[in-house]
Order: sequence, then structure tokens, then C-alpha cells
Amino acid sequence: MANGVFSRNIGRRTVIKGAVAAGVVQFASPFIHTARAADIVKIGLNDPLTGTYAELGKNEQIGCELAVEQINAKGGILGRKVELLVEDSTSADTGTAVQKGRKLIERDNVDFLLGNVNSAMAIALGQVSNELKRLHIVTGGHTDSVTGSDCHWNVFRVCNTTRMETNSVAKTLFTKYGKRWYFITPDYAFGHTLQQGFEASLKAFGGTEVGADLSPLGATDYSSYLIKAQAANPDVIIFLHAGQDMINALKQAVQFGLDKRFHIAGAQQELEVLNALSPNARIGTWVFEWYWKQPNVPHVAEFVAEIKKRTGGKVPTARHWFGYASTWTCALIANQEKSLDAVKLAKALEGFKLPPEVALMPNEPFYRAGDHQLMPSLYVGHAVESGSEPEDLFHVDEVVKGTDVALPVSETGCHMVAPS
Amino acid sequence: MTRLPKHSTSMVVWLLLLTLPFWMSAIGGYTALGSRVVVLALAAMSLNFLLGFTGVLSFGHAAYFGLGVYGVGLTLKYLLPNTLVGIAVGVLAGTIAAAVVGALIVRLRGVYFAMVTIAFGQVFYFIAYRWNTVTGGDDGLSGWRRVPIELGVTRLDILGNDKAFYYLVLFCFAGAVTAMAGLLASPFGRTLLAIRENERRARFLGIPVDQHIWLSWVTSCMFVSLAGALYALLNNFADPHDLRWDQSGDFVIMAVLGGMRAFWGPLIGAAIFVVLQDYVSSQTENWMSFIGLFFILVVLFFPRGVLGILRRKSAS
Repeated sequence: MANGVFSRNIGRRTVIKGAVAAGVVQFASPFIHTARAADIVKIGLNDPLTGTYAELGKNEQIGCELAVEQINAKGGILGRKVELLVEDSTSADTGTAVQKGRKLIERDNVDFLLGNVNSAMAIALGQVSNELKRLHIVTGGHTDSVTGSDCHWNVFRVCNTTRMETNSVAKTLFTKYGKRWYFITPDYAFGHTLQQGFEASLKAFGGTEVGADLSPLGATDYSSYLIKAQAANPDVIIFLHAGQDMINALKQAVQFGLDKRFHIAGAQQELEVLNALSPNARIGTWVFEWYWKQPNVPHVAEFVAEIKKRTGGKVPTARHWFGYASTWTCALIANQEKSLDAVKLAKALEGFKLPPEVALMPNEPFYRAGDHQLMPSLYVGHAVESGSEPEDLFHVDEVVKGTDVALPVSETGCHMVAPS
Repeated sequence: MTRLPKHSTSMVVWLLLLTLPFWMSAIGGYTALGSRVVVLALAAMSLNFLLGFTGVLSFGHAAYFGLGVYGVGLTLKYLLPNTLVGIAVGVLAGTIAAAVVGALIVRLRGVYFAMVTIAFGQVFYFIAYRWNTVTGGDDGLSGWRRVPIELGVTRLDILGNDKAFYYLVLFCFAGAVTAMAGLLASPFGRTLLAIRENERRARFLGIPVDQHIWLSWVTSCMFVSLAGALYALLNNFADPHDLRWDQSGDFVIMAVLGGMRAFWGPLIGAAIFVVLQDYVSSQTENWMSFIGLFFILVVLFFPRGVLGILRRKSAS
């Protein structure tokens, strides 16, 4: 039997080749261009699902998915079913993000583009969507230029500019905690623009900058900066980091006991970060872009409950809300205008107010006409060791109106060119 | 041993590349994906000029790729809106930097050479990453886009027509690849092969080895910066990541995946890399594991890459 027909003709290699071929076929299915029904409206989300920003990107995705489900339950867009297409932009490779943006628009023919968490990718995708004339809502890239010097007629943004974040907290810091500030800034564009924002406020109030240090992105040891900051004896030490850097910096600041002698503060803070910190390191004054505990604001409790169902009991963060609000914006404006034409929708979105069930915050957020920046509320407050519930880690001291802290349109550097 | 007629591989490759925009969408692709394959293939083939045909491993080619990227971006943004001038500046910037760096490192060999290329690569990366006022830093360089090319009689609309842009990319690719093939067939190219096979013997034969490696390095970097220039035009964006060491790593992966000893190997490698990334990443966020797994399988079982497998099959 060993020399039978079977073993002679089908050798080991052939079997392996067959197995490989069978494996390849699994991936061949997307090659076959599926004819999609014309009765579907497609929303494309281009966000990082791998790398540094993966958690933020995935949280936005969950918000989008919830919105799509609700939109479909309420009759979809123009009576058509809505489908969410998600592409991983990676966290660092803008070339890939651009490629995925083109894929969503050119191949999958999405009607709306959402994304990105990464500022560079948000700008680059804005150029793609502008070139291909699709309505594009930037979910989570904060750099000023998205609605400033790089603004486009088709690009809107739900998250705040870095300048809005610094302006909202600067006044409180100055009046309550002192005029002498020390900056510890991550050495890349995001950190630099935050610091410039604070410096502008400090100058306007007449305070002094007693020192500033640049720490490399991804640094794990902050002791040298903390020692220098301590020696300068400021009133407030400002940390402008994000993600893991913020976690490391705050942990070490507490180990050095800096929180006992100086006031710790910063601009943007996220629930993702506070969750990852040990209780005694949950310190400082910060800005939240959205907070899940707003007892007096309608519909927030329902939203929290819905998100909890999808995250295994975790409360929504600002990222969930960004995804949710931007997806709903697409549906609301298309249904209001009864059209999917990007030019028409972009025009209608200027000044468009989010209804309470989507806004989930006080003061009726709206998209400002001149630069397409959403004017939401910002939550200035302080981190707390533990709150009434396990994930209640932030105490909102003051809700600031976006219109009060945003630069006037004339100073954003945005020159919108209307479509021809 | 039955051999296919000479040049048959090349003819198939050219035929596929020339007709690509017409069948790409039928199999679920899009023209920009084709442009990306060709651009990255050019980068990987340039790297392979050094790696596969001179036997020198560089882990810093992204630096010169990135100089091409920023050369175009900065020219179009600050100097003048002319795509061809932009490409020329990008290539020039990459080539000059490579000539200077090459002169400093050409005496090193093996892993030391690779390490130093990474180090120099990171120097350029951090310049782009930190010089916010000029390069835009981490936010990248935006606010410019490719400009249609005026050819006197006609106008090549590479901005609005992505097929036109694809053919511009293919035209540059063809020029660069023909030049590389010509160089490899020349006595200079043969000398490089001799150095790859046995450097000591080449030295005893009186060949100025260091000068040859330097020339090979500069040539390779010149073509990789051309690829970078085209990549910038493809994205209409310059990103510091384009200069980073992991981008260099991607080029090495493409070259090894496709086959270092074969002229067209890196093209196959780039095609597999880009297409796999594009499709698998839409199916699962763990797409990198698949590329990694595929790479490991190729390195372990087919060290000459995908083209190496095909070669062996046709030879047996």
C-alpha cells in the first residue's frame, strides 16, 4: 500500500501546497467585488485599531456602532439602511491611513467619512475627502489646524481644538492656584500647541512662566524633569502628556510627593488614563471633553446604559461620544436635507445644532459656520481618588461654553474655499 | 531543464503593470492601491540593488525615502507649485544626503553597517519630527498637493485623474528600473556581484571595494528617494513616519519576501505586502500577525523568497 497509486501521486509537498491554497482562498473572498445593493447608505470610519491609539479608536468605533443601530431602528437615512465600514488606519503610518481613506471612498463608495484620532491623519484624510468631495467629520484629532489653516468646506470636527482646552482651564488655574507656572511638555506638535495655548493665556493674565521642559514622546522616566520643576518652585506644574506618558508622569509626580507641595494640572484628560492610574495618583485639575456623569442632562443615562451593554459594563468615555455624535450628525443632516449631496449637506451643517438626545451635554452644541468646529461644552474639574461609583473618577467643577473659549474664526487661520 | 524564453518574466510584469488600472477594480482593488504597490516596489527594488546585488544590508533607507517625501512637500508648499521640480528636489536631497552619509559609513560591514544606517536614519527622522515650524512636526506637512503637469502641448491632470497619476508613477518606475537593470548588466554591476560573493577575493583582484559599495549605496538611495517623492505625491502629505526605522524595516521585509536574488523579487514582495495589508486589515485588526507569519514561513522555508520558489519550480 505504501507504493500505491495514492502515495506516489500525492506527495507531502502537494498536501502542503493544497493546504496553503485552501488557506489563501479564505482571504480571496474580499477580492470578489460584492455588488452591494443601492439601498444602503455607507458611513466609513477610518481610525486606529492597532498601536498606541488603538483603545481610543475602538471606543470611537463602539460609539459609531451604537449610533448606527439607533439610526437604523428609527428608519435609517432617507429610508435606507445604514452600514458602518471600519478600516484600521494604524496609529503612526499616515500613508496607510490615506490609503484606507481612498479605499473607503473610491472602492467602497461611502457617503460619509469619519476619523481620525491621530491629528496628522485627520489632516491628511481631510485632504483626501476634500479632493473626492465627501462630507467628513473628524472625530478625535485635536490639533488646531484641522479647523484652522487646514480647514476645508467638507470637513467638520466634533472634538475640541487644543486651544479651546487650554483656554477653558487657564482662568481657573490662574485665579485659584497661582501665577507661576511650570510646563512639562511632550516633545511633539500636540504638546507644543498646548503649551503655546497656555502661554498665550498666561501672558494675557500677566503671570510668569518659571520654566518649561520637553520630554520625549514615550519617555518612561520623568525624574529629571520633576526635580527641575521642584527646584523652580512654581505654583502650578502643568503636564501636557497623553496616554501612557501621562500615566507615567503622574505616577512619578506622586512618588516624588509633588502633589503635596504644588498644584498639578494640565489640559486634556481622558477617563482611559484615570482608569489606569492607581487611586493616589488621580490628582490635578483637568479638562474633560465629555463626562458620563451628568445627572441633570437628559438622555445621558440612557446613553451610558447602552454603551455599558457593549463594553461589558464599562462607562462611556469622551471617545464613545465623539463616535456617537459624529455618526448621528451624518444621519440628522441627511434626513433634514433629504439628500446625500456633500455640498448641500456641508452648507446645511453650518450652524447646525445637535438635538439633546445626541448632544448629551448642556448649552446646545453647534457646528460653527466659519471654521466647522463644533462648539460643545467643556468640563473643567479635578480628578478624584474614588467617587460614588468605581468609574466616577472626575469631579466636574465648572461647565464651560465652547463659544467662550474658542478663538474667533478670524484668528483660527481658516480660509474656507467654497466648492466650485 | 526547460527554460522559459529570456525576458518572458519581464514581459509579463510589464504587461500586468501597464494594464493594471483596467483590471484592478474588477478584482476589488482601486487605482490608488496600484500606485502604492508600484511606488513601494520601486523603493524595495532600490533597496535590493544594495541588499541583493551588493550584499550590503541597510536598515536606514527610509531616511532617503523620507527626504524625497519632504523634498517634494517643502518645494510644493514653499518654493513653487511644479510637480516635476518637486520630484527633482526630492531626489537631489536624498542623493546628496546619501552621498555624505555613505562616505562616512562605507568602511563598515555587516551588522555594524546596518546599525549605523539606522542611527543616521533616525537623525533625519527626528529633524522632521521636531522642526515644527518647517516640517509640521508630528502633525506632518500638509497644505499642498500635486500640481497638474504642463507639457507644452497638453496638460497631464495627475491631481484629478488617478489613472494619469498612476501612469506618471509607472513612467518613473520604468525609467528607474531600466536604469538599475542596465547598471546591473554593466561591468559595474558585475563587480558588485563579485563583491557580494567574495569581498576579500574582489579586493585581491584590485577592485576598489569601498568606492564600489559607496556608488552602489548612492545609486540605491537615489532611486529610493525617487520612490519617496512619488509616495509624497500619492498621499499629498508628508509624514515623519516615512523616515522612521520601521518604514526601512518594511522595505527589507518586501525585498526578502519577494526574493532578494531575483530582479523582480521586491516587486512581488511589495505587491504581497501592500495587498495583504489592504485586504486582511479590513477583515481583522490582527492583520500584522498574518504578514508576520507569512514572513516567517518564507524566511524559514524559502530563503530566496516567493520568486525563488517559482524559479526553483521552473528549473526542476
